[in-house]
Amino acid sequence: MKNITNKIGILTLALSMSLTSCKDSFLEAIPETSLSDATVFTPDRILSQVNGLYASVKSGSLLGGRYQIYNDIRGEEFINRTTNTVTGYTTYQGNQDASDTYIAAFWTQGYLTINRANLLLEGLDANASVISSDLLANYKAEAKFVRALTYFSLVQFFAKPYALDNGVSAGLPLRLKGEKNNENNDLARSTVAQVYDQIIKDLNEAEAELPNDYGSSTLLRTTRAHKNTAIALKTRVLLAKKDYKGVITEANKIVSASAPFKSSVRIQHELSSDMVSVFRAPYTGLENIFSSPMSINDAPGTQNQVGYYFNSGNVEYFINTGTTGIYSNPQFAATDVRKSQLTVPTTGISANPSSTKFSGVSPYIDFIPQIRYAEVLLNLAEAEAEVGSTTRSLALLDAVHKRSKGAVDFATLDKAGLIKAILTERRIEFFGEGFRANDILRRGEPINSFGAGALIQPSDPRYIFAIPVIETVTNKLI
Amino acid sequence: MKKNVLLLLAMLFFGLGVSHAQSRAVTGTVTSVDDGSTLPGVSVMVKGTTKGTQTDTDGKFRLEGVSGTETLVFSFVGFNSKEETVGNRSIINVALGASEGALEELVVVGYGTQKRQEFTGAASTIKGSSIAERPVQSFVQGLTGQASGVNIIQPNGLLNNPPVIRVRGLSSLSLSSFPLIVVDGIPISTGDVSSNAATNNPLGDINPADIESIDVLKDAASAAIYGSRAAAGVLLITTKKGKSGKARFNLDSWAGVSNPVRLPEVLNAQQYMDHKNMAIGNALALNPNAVPASQRNEKNQSFLPNYDANGKLIDTDWQDVVYRTGFSQNYNVSLQGGTDKTNYFFSGGYTNQDGFLKANNFQRKSGRLNLSHEATNWLKLNMNINYINSLNNAPNSGSYVGGAFATSGLGRIAVAQVPNLPAYKADGSYNLENNTVGRMNNLLPAQFPNAAPLIDLDKNTSETARFFTNLGADIRLYKGLSFKTSYSWDNRNTENVQFWNPYNGDGWSFTGYAYNNNIKSNNWNWINTLNYNKTFAEKHNLSLVVGSDAQKTRTTGWGINRQTVADLFFNNLQGNFSTNLSAGNSINQISFLGYLASLSYNFGGKYFVSANFRRDGNSQLSPANRWGNFGGISGGWTISEEEFFKNSDLANTLSNLRLKASWGKVGNGNMTNAYGSYSLFNSGIFGTVPSLVFSQAGNPDLKWETSAQTNIGLDFSLFKSRLNVEASFYNKDINNLVLDVPQSPSKGIPGNVILANVGSMYNRGFELSVSATPVIRNDFSWNTTLNFSTNKNMVTSLVTDDKGLTANTSGLEISSITMVGHSAAQIYGVKTAGVNPENGRRIFVRKDGTQVQYLHHGGVNLWTLMDGTRTTSPSTQLQLLGGTIPTWYGGFNNNFAYKNLDLALNFTYSGGNYIYNGSRAGLRDQRVWNNSVDVLNSWKKPGDITDVPRAVYGDNVSNGSAFLISDNVEKGDFLRLQNVTLGYRLPAIFGNSGISSLRIYGQVNNAFILTKYSGVDPEISTNGNNNLSSGVERNVIPQGRQFTLGLNIGF
Repeated sequence: MKNITNKIGILTLALSMSLTSCKDSFLEAIPETSLSDATVFTPDRILSQVNGLYASVKSGSLLGGRYQIYNDIRGEEFINRTTNTVTGYTTYQGNQDASDTYIAAFWTQGYLTINRANLLLEGLDANASVISSDLLANYKAEAKFVRALTYFSLVQFFAKPYALDNGVSAGLPLRLKGEKNNENNDLARSTVAQVYDQIIKDLNEAEAELPNDYGSSTLLRTTRAHKNTAIALKTRVLLAKKDYKGVITEANKIVSASAPFKSSVRIQHELSSDMVSVFRAPYTGLENIFSSPMSINDAPGTQNQVGYYFNSGNVEYFINTGTTGIYSNPQFAATDVRKSQLTVPTTGISANPSSTKFSGVSPYIDFIPQIRYAEVLLNLAEAEAEVGSTTRSLALLDAVHKRSKGAVDFATLDKAGLIKAILTERRIEFFGEGFRANDILRRGEPINSFGAGALIQPSDPRYIFAIPVIETVTNKLI
Repeated sequence: MKKNVLLLLAMLFFGLGVSHAQSRAVTGTVTSVDDGSTLPGVSVMVKGTTKGTQTDTDGKFRLEGVSGTETLVFSFVGFNSKEETVGNRSIINVALGASEGALEELVVVGYGTQKRQEFTGAASTIKGSSIAERPVQSFVQGLTGQASGVNIIQPNGLLNNPPVIRVRGLSSLSLSSFPLIVVDGIPISTGDVSSNAATNNPLGDINPADIESIDVLKDAASAAIYGSRAAAGVLLITTKKGKSGKARFNLDSWAGVSNPVRLPEVLNAQQYMDHKNMAIGNALALNPNAVPASQRNEKNQSFLPNYDANGKLIDTDWQDVVYRTGFSQNYNVSLQGGTDKTNYFFSGGYTNQDGFLKANNFQRKSGRLNLSHEATNWLKLNMNINYINSLNNAPNSGSYVGGAFATSGLGRIAVAQVPNLPAYKADGSYNLENNTVGRMNNLLPAQFPNAAPLIDLDKNTSETARFFTNLGADIRLYKGLSFKTSYSWDNRNTENVQFWNPYNGDGWSFTGYAYNNNIKSNNWNWINTLNYNKTFAEKHNLSLVVGSDAQKTRTTGWGINRQTVADLFFNNLQGNFSTNLSAGNSINQISFLGYLASLSYNFGGKYFVSANFRRDGNSQLSPANRWGNFGGISGGWTISEEEFFKNSDLANTLSNLRLKASWGKVGNGNMTNAYGSYSLFNSGIFGTVPSLVFSQAGNPDLKWETSAQTNIGLDFSLFKSRLNVEASFYNKDINNLVLDVPQSPSKGIPGNVILANVGSMYNRGFELSVSATPVIRNDFSWNTTLNFSTNKNMVTSLVTDDKGLTANTSGLEISSITMVGHSAAQIYGVKTAGVNPENGRRIFVRKDGTQVQYLHHGGVNLWTLMDGTRTTSPSTQLQLLGGTIPTWYGGFNNNFAYKNLDLALNFTYSGGNYIYNGSRAGLRDQRVWNNSVDVLNSWKKPGDITDVPRAVYGDNVSNGSAFLISDNVEKGDFLRLQNVTLGYRLPAIFGNSGISSLRIYGQVNNAFILTKYSGVDPEISTNGNNNLSSGVERNVIPQGRQFTLGLNIGF
């Protein structure tokens, strides 16, 4: 009998222990290294989300490297050294394809950024009371700026240039609503013009609500958008639209009437006297209107680093010294600072010249300039040459050219010659910074693709990127 | 020794000379064929009488008054009975062979064991001894072809790479289809726990020599008691227990060599230079910039001869640089025994295996103590303790999941590296240039690193220290009623160490790169059951189990990544580096809670019925839907036990005739994401300030994926159980599939997927297992087992019927699609129609049948119709190119014993599937890579009929590198002689040495394969266990062939 009692005692003990462990909380497992969406709208975390938008747009697969690289290797300035398909070889050869996964990654990161901006805009409206109305307006304007920048970057690649047909051709699916569930997979492409309208609308709204500056912080004024940033980007967008009057109007907000050109309002943007310093730490001079910061903890990632492609990182592409490349152009003299100090004749990797704008080695943490004051000046110069004052245009061109000890005298040029010189100057000034393809396409010119060994005409399907297969298989309206 | 032999001979002669027909005493020893150990408790009966005895604890017996005309019957549970006519012998030593699929066997089922003749579900039992001698890392690799309904694929020859196991077909699409592995009661983690190129299959932590048996529960009714996680079947591993009797000591060891087989034949240096230079000429004619002027000479050649110090043309076989003959050795010692109260099994194991891939090594040290003790007549205690240390070491083979396109992947480098370049320069130093092998006289740079420094200087290891313990008690509360409690703890600590050298390869661009991380998995499981067994009125047998089962697994990882060595001296993480980043941090917690009940009833051993029910909670599902109800019922009818059957003529040939059927519903809790119901934001750093980004779109309605399975089985034996047949049909319906539902990338959902319960599929098939003993004589026996399984997988619904789930290989190449109306994981690519004899261009076929041809460097004429009209790329014209899931497979095992010799031949076969031979796309790629000798047949002039297009330098489209083409899709049927073992048991001539048995054997593993598949092996899975992208070979190392010699000694 005693035995039985003992056994029942043990059993009761065991069962009660097993039942205590079996409460419902036993099945609670909450993520410990990520935050649930229910918790991310506190003042600090909202700011972190705003930073997250800039972080998304500067992802190595988007504007943190790949955007610049694809724009530069499509043309005639660079020659491929490594024939590696994942470092843009098909784009270089002009036979990029809808099935190329590296292009799909570019598309995907673009829209991920757009969705994050959309979600933040909606979340801010839903949590408006958490922060001050000033901050609310500031953050929303930043989200719109990022969205506009991203749409503009995508529409350049995946749609026919606006200038070809005033934007009537198929553009991008225009996503303006935050997505977080299984719905809305299908969305047709808006026209190029509709995409541009949205970009300009976002930039106008951003300009209105963005702050003048971020206090005295030079880092923040370089890495986050303020009023001048939105205006500067607008000059780029309007130039691509061939809205030259618009370019002049916008640029005049931040460019003085005559040399020395500088912004007289808010942040006093101007050309840096030393071109090289634009690409060297601390990267936050007055010429750098908007840049993507990098740090050891926030590096561009493997095979996304511009310096890995164009400099001694791995010289995936070296400079074309042949007749078609800008390197041999007389306007790009050997004494030009941009050649003498921002290129080298050989690297440890290649016997051919390379660009040293991005000079850092692993982990490649040079900031990436997205918008420089020099661009605003040349945007304005081109617009002035087209529809305004050739005198002011010439002065603007001279300001950029002479800053780097350029020795060409442009004063003798007629309008057409001046425009050509400005376009040539852009090739020199923005060499390796991701401007080349866009500058060709926005004027509807053929791409003189070195990789293809041929001119790619605007009518050629190779002129733009096809919408990636991963989109067309999931979005039935594409 | 000599004396013993003489004595033996004398006894034999003496025996022969004795006249018979007299009754006398017979003695002898009964041993196991398997390991030579003596068998206590064997029944020794004189046939047709009640006269008999049992062997004692030393396996010896003595029977008085036996006449020479009588026959002795030796029988023992788990062994085939044997009959011996006494004749004029007075000593009869008998070796009993273990019964495969014999009816006396026990089946280990959920929370207990059942006699096979009472078991109404579908299960296969595999004895541990059939695996212990194989030169494998994990027991799973030895299961190939051993059980019907179980298909196992070893992804490639990389040591301890997790195999792919499918029990009755594909069990899920987005969740794991790997069966639940339960070791002595505790479900353990599976997959690859390494974070570098040295794969680490946690199942390799279990010493195969410690395994007594593996039971595969295949139908839902058997598995339902593991309800929550049994959708993919259950493998129950039971480790060895001590047997009562005097202490027995065994030493088992083997040693062997391993070599790669079926390596592709590639161009030698001269062929390479000639071919590539020709291709450059072809390319330049189309595009003057195809090769920049600085990278070719005036003859438009870029590949020029290099000579060694003796003036001999350098011709490097990079396969020799990468592969070797690997040497392996394995030792196990075990001690076991016991009294009527206490049993013990103690073992120690050491294995050290070198792969045929240089620097690939696997080592395991393990120790185990399994103890059971009857403390009182009502309390029995069990304890198992197992400590393991396993160390995996590998260079970057590119043959792990996600590694197929690794630039430093040696599987590809071995075939694609430029052959006219040496690994070493004349001065003995590595031939290097930036991140590749040095180009020497070539004018174009190579693209891949030099294999030699990667093998010598890079380090990837994954080392697990693991403590397994299991404490249990059995309390008899009342007659027939007992309470069992079992607490298991599996504490695993894995340290992953990685160092990439600064000279060449993955570490080059970082100037040295180190990444270590540590993963701790704390896994415990507590099961409490109340068991009741009762026989009423002699014929009503009832058994009832109720209980609870709780499990929690918490896995935490942390690590550091260091880049740019401060000094080239450093070759480890602990040295000095200029960049330090945190990396490899993770916390995952999973808990399961279940309540279970199971009832079995049989009437007179003729009618069987059982039912079980289980309610399970899973922390990985949404709070509202995390509980699920699962269960099953099954029934059986043993017709041969019926009087009418016994009295019929049929009973003379047919016996053990049995029908059984089951139905059950189980869940799949093998979520790939512990937190899939949450929408999440990841914290990061933007420049130097914190950032938060939307990182996961969760599904707040996530619920159980379920699988309902019907099983119908028929068992029977013929010719007095010389031929046993088990046949079953199954239908497995899987519903509420948890899918990574693809989202349009333009929606901006992180990863472009959201987990949701949509979709369904089924698996149907037939399984047949025939075991027979065609020959059984005194000195010769032949046992054979044939198993044959079919599987038809069909996806019946997905998100939408017209859009499939595409999947890619190593994140780069779209290779597969899963669509409604087809089996899962179809190869997905563009159809091709050979090479145009007129111009040597590859012909591609659009969905509408239009043929288009490709001209690399063709500019505006890149793609043209056959009449030359310009057209667009067909790369979006993807079509289904064949199912990758084998529709039939099995094994054919033969065991022969002749006197002291034993021979085993194990064949495996499989087929009905297609394989995407992606490696071939690389082998024919017209960039700087070396090519297969196939390209010597490339199109050269109009009229050439060939399957290799005209070689145009840089062409990565025509042969399938840019996108998948049907030309690289092949049938996967094969027959393999998986294993041949020839053993010899030395006669008992060891005198007083203490040795009671000694066997030596030789083995060949992967002896030969018959297949039309042209890749390295039709048993391949570049994407590992991924359900949606099976059947892909991409840049992997091949399989090996092993020759081993082994020794078993018993004391």
